[in-house]
Amino acid sequence: MFQMGGGVAPEDQLDKTQTRRVMARVIRMASPFRRTAFAALGCVVVTTSATLAAPVLVRHGIDSGIRARDLFELNLSVGFYLAITALAYIFGRMQYVFLNRTGESFLRELRLKVFASMQRQSLAYYDRNKAGVLVARMTADIETMGELIQWGLLQFLASGFLVVLAFAVLFSLSWQLTLVVLIVFPVIVVASVKFQRDSNSAYLTVRERVGQNLGTLQEGIAAVRVIQAYAQEDNQIERFEKSNRSLFASHVRSIRISTWYFGLVEFSGVIATSLVVGIGGWLVHEGVVSLGTVVAFILLLSSLFDPVQQLSQLYNGVQSAAAALHKLFAILDATPEVDEAPDALALPSRGNLKVDDVMFTYQGGSTPALDHVSLEVRDGERIALVGPTGAGKSTLAKLMARLYDPVMGVVSYGGVDLRRGTHKSLRQRIVVVPQEGFLFNGTIRDNVRLARIDATDAEVEAALDRLGVLAHFERLPEGLDTEVRERGTRLSAGERQLVALGRAALVDPAVLVLDEATSNLDPGTEAEVEAALERLMQGRTTIVVAHRLTTVQRADRIVVVNNAKITEVGTHGELMALGGHYSALARAWEKSHAG
Amino acid sequence: MTSAPIGDKPIAVLGGTTVVELDPDAAASAKGEAEEQARAQRNLGWQLLWRALLDQRRALVFGVAIGITWTAAKVAVPQLTKAAIDRGIERNGPLLAWSLFIAGAGLATGLLTAGRRYLAFRESRWTETLLRERIFAHIQRLHVGYHDRTQTGQLMSRASSDLQQVQQFVVMIPITLSNVAQLFAVTLILVLTDWRLAIVALAPLPFINVASRRFSSRIHPAVLAVQNEQAQLASVVEESVSGVRVVKGLGTESVQFDKLRKEADDIRAVSLKAAGIRSRFLPAIDLLPSLGLIAVLGYGGHRVVNGDLSIGDLVAFNVYLTMLVWPLRNIGMMVALGQRAAAALVRVHEVLSTEPAVRSPKQPRSLPARHTSQPVGAVSFENVVFGYGDEHRVLNDLSVSIAPGESVAVVGATGSGKSTIVRLLLRFYDVDQGRITLDGIDLRKLDVHELRRNIGVVFEETFLFNDSVRNNIAFAKPDADLATVERAARLAGAHEFIMRLPEGYDTPIGERGFSLSGGQRQRVAIARAIVADPRVLVLDDATSAVDPSKEHEIRDAMRTVMEGRTTIVIAHRPGTIALADRIVLIDEGRVVAVGQHRELLDTSERYREVLAAWAVRDDTAAAEVPIAARTPVVGGE
Repeated sequence: MFQMGGGVAPEDQLDKTQTRRVMARVIRMASPFRRTAFAALGCVVVTTSATLAAPVLVRHGIDSGIRARDLFELNLSVGFYLAITALAYIFGRMQYVFLNRTGESFLRELRLKVFASMQRQSLAYYDRNKAGVLVARMTADIETMGELIQWGLLQFLASGFLVVLAFAVLFSLSWQLTLVVLIVFPVIVVASVKFQRDSNSAYLTVRERVGQNLGTLQEGIAAVRVIQAYAQEDNQIERFEKSNRSLFASHVRSIRISTWYFGLVEFSGVIATSLVVGIGGWLVHEGVVSLGTVVAFILLLSSLFDPVQQLSQLYNGVQSAAAALHKLFAILDATPEVDEAPDALALPSRGNLKVDDVMFTYQGGSTPALDHVSLEVRDGERIALVGPTGAGKSTLAKLMARLYDPVMGVVSYGGVDLRRGTHKSLRQRIVVVPQEGFLFNGTIRDNVRLARIDATDAEVEAALDRLGVLAHFERLPEGLDTEVRERGTRLSAGERQLVALGRAALVDPAVLVLDEATSNLDPGTEAEVEAALERLMQGRTTIVVAHRLTTVQRADRIVVVNNAKITEVGTHGELMALGGHYSALARAWEKSHAG
Repeated sequence: MTSAPIGDKPIAVLGGTTVVELDPDAAASAKGEAEEQARAQRNLGWQLLWRALLDQRRALVFGVAIGITWTAAKVAVPQLTKAAIDRGIERNGPLLAWSLFIAGAGLATGLLTAGRRYLAFRESRWTETLLRERIFAHIQRLHVGYHDRTQTGQLMSRASSDLQQVQQFVVMIPITLSNVAQLFAVTLILVLTDWRLAIVALAPLPFINVASRRFSSRIHPAVLAVQNEQAQLASVVEESVSGVRVVKGLGTESVQFDKLRKEADDIRAVSLKAAGIRSRFLPAIDLLPSLGLIAVLGYGGHRVVNGDLSIGDLVAFNVYLTMLVWPLRNIGMMVALGQRAAAALVRVHEVLSTEPAVRSPKQPRSLPARHTSQPVGAVSFENVVFGYGDEHRVLNDLSVSIAPGESVAVVGATGSGKSTIVRLLLRFYDVDQGRITLDGIDLRKLDVHELRRNIGVVFEETFLFNDSVRNNIAFAKPDADLATVERAARLAGAHEFIMRLPEGYDTPIGERGFSLSGGQRQRVAIARAIVADPRVLVLDDATSAVDPSKEHEIRDAMRTVMEGRTTIVIAHRPGTIALADRIVLIDEGRVVAVGQHRELLDTSERYREVLAAWAVRDDTAAAEVPIAARTPVVGGE
């Protein structure tokens, strides 16, 4: 009844060596939980054996008890039957507990490991991998396995075991009748394999069309204003109908596949019964087997056919779990590009930030993003980086904060190569404030404290106070304890930016790397953000990726980055006099401002 | 018993502790009323399904008939087996004949199983498909006011997950009916064969039904809890990935890791709780039929020994009992599925029973025909008063007349009511007082479609459909030929960049397609409006999403389109405002000044204020813009 939602796209299917490697690794990873795992396996063996023992006991009851008119033997069979049923119940309960405990502990471990590995990766990794894909690994892929553990794994193990054991029992009862069963059995196996394959491909089509249909549905709802404004309701309805009908068609295809399969399975089951009755009856007449054996065979047939059916249905689920694991292991195996050196030391508390002949190329990029760039920023100096989009100014800022490591050359702070500094000291000395104030779920206080998790409430408040924004947040009905909710949609863009600045103030770093916002803030908080920023920059080395002329004018030195190189360095006045890129830039800005 | 949530409001809360402080009588009556209401709504939900199924009655009746025939064949097999054992094996009768009978019955059950399954699934999917189309069509026609109040996600789940619940229920209808038939048939046969043994053997079975029902209602909330925890973990992962720049910039990986560990622990805990529920129920459900089988062997065995029963009967009893396990489980599950389907149906009904608030009149008047000699497109707002819901008025006695062919810029601060004017003109909402006319006719007297076909809007944010550029431009006239589309694109200044796209006009755009810049999107939207060839063109802040340096490109396109057509431009940048013949300054829902740009700059203090406020917002320096693109200077006006 509980159908697995499995299904593996052909490109995700693993070959034999990959499967073996995945299996070996799962076993290695699960070894801390081997006790519960073995306990679960033991329970499965006991309950499955009990299931199979029942028909054997019925046979004994019929042959030695009823037909021999021996009531003691009959009662003995009944007594054993009761005992194994009780056993099956107790072990049945335990197998759920043990299996789930093993499975869930394994998944928990997997979640933590994969997440930790994702967190260790550098920004370059996040540039290469789409956010949606990474989230899917941690959610959908692991949940697929969760489903398998909750519904399928137990059945999968038990079914496999049951088929093997059932044949052993049948064979020990009568090899002749076992041969009879073997006439029908291959039909079921072949049909099941074909069904598994066809239903997998049908399932993939259904899944794809469900996605398409949801897309059309969502579009139709989200765009309803445009649609109505252009009186296009009828066309959109028609469009949706088309996608909806194609989804229906794919459902029907998948229904057809299961229809013939389940029909065939039911038919084969009865045919097997008819063969066992016919040939078995003849064997009884010949005195080769007992009537009880024939009855036991009839009763055992279902133990033989049901598991094959289940195996074929679960196979897809197991396969997609293996494919998911394969992808997850790839994340675990990714080596972080920006890692802490084994002999890392703390960076000095103050010093010059020096970029020395640095080259940097983004992965997959053909031309360098920074080409032999050198720059020394003096302690306490304020630098504005300007230049066209994609010229390399943001990249330069990121390298100065060691969000990336240079391909060639050195970025050092106080004479120490950033790559030799500990992560901890690096983040204490150099703090990056990104373009937009990104908030995490939690309160405003939590969001500020994020920067230094051991900070007290008083320290958080003091940090905000230093920026002159504490009063602003305290005016909110719940003050600093306001839940920001859904990425801070309750706060304005300016307020979010204030929180981001608060974080930096809490760390109290020597160097600030700022990526100035390109988008506009609400006029109300705009001034407040400006003021807070000014306070934050006091007494610190600051590198601003500037988008506003006002910011640029306030810098000690302006660095123009163009075509991956530093082309001009100087004060506003100096560069205006130079008449290069910068002066053109500044003039263009003034003109657009005039409207 | 957990009470199923009705709509999105859990009715059960009313009966909970929260009501205790109220006057007990009032609370009781409130509870009664709420229950009454819930029941009425449930009935409406079921009626919805019933009517839908009525349309499919032929296939459904056929499915049920097949199901019942299947039951007959299925029930016959053990009877035949029994006869074969008793007459064929025990008494040396004709074995081959009995074997063939069984095989024949097998063929029948195989075919009928297939038929039952096919019809049940096909029909349930068909119900789901048609209901989904009904919901979509209805949503498309619902007024914008409804959409403003309702989240996309909510409507999505009406048309997806809710219908899935309904489908899961419908598929069980033919299956359950044949299961019930099977239950009766088997019970009857067993009682007729040996009523004493039947009572003993069947005694444990009703508990299967009870247990499955209880299991379904217990496991459902547990599964929801697991999903809920998974969603929480997903949100931690999501924020860590999209906020990775903050995480890396501050070095707060460990904070996020701790959050994740907590969520991973929670998932483990709730999953184990769910496993606990399964462990309590599922082995027990497996155990119950075994008790019946033991009874058959023990008590039945004694009766065979005493000569009251044949061995064949004993075997038949065994087979019949196992045959009852699934039907009993299914019926138990059916109850839970039914409850969930009922709740889903109520929610679906709620959407379908919402009436569109904006409708065409029964006998609409038609707009005067368009002649080249007589310009059309006169728009007039006469003492319009309007507010969204009960909130304060957005438009307060607003009057403005726009002559055919005239272009007017509407200027105002945020919240002054500018965009509301557009919404009223499109009849997304109806005015509370006063009236709006197009070419002299009250909008409410026009066919809504005719009205909207005559007003082309370029919205602040361009919605691009997942379709080709061509179809996106031809949106208003899907059968427009390529030449028309191309002409519109040229006028909108979009042709050149479209030709540079990988597949030209056939390039897929939208969320899943090629991504366009803000300016390119706007030009596609303008081309879209040109194809519609409206009497009145409305440009709702069409340049606000565009980088100021690119604005002139849009502005050129706008100027071409506006020629000789009534145009309303909602704008705040001087360059765009300058395109209009006249400027209407709106403040607090009223027209406060009318005139030309220079004129208003000189005479209206408020006008200067509003423009200045917008200019601060636009204070975006040139630094981000490529220098090369900058040099052909912007301020041409």
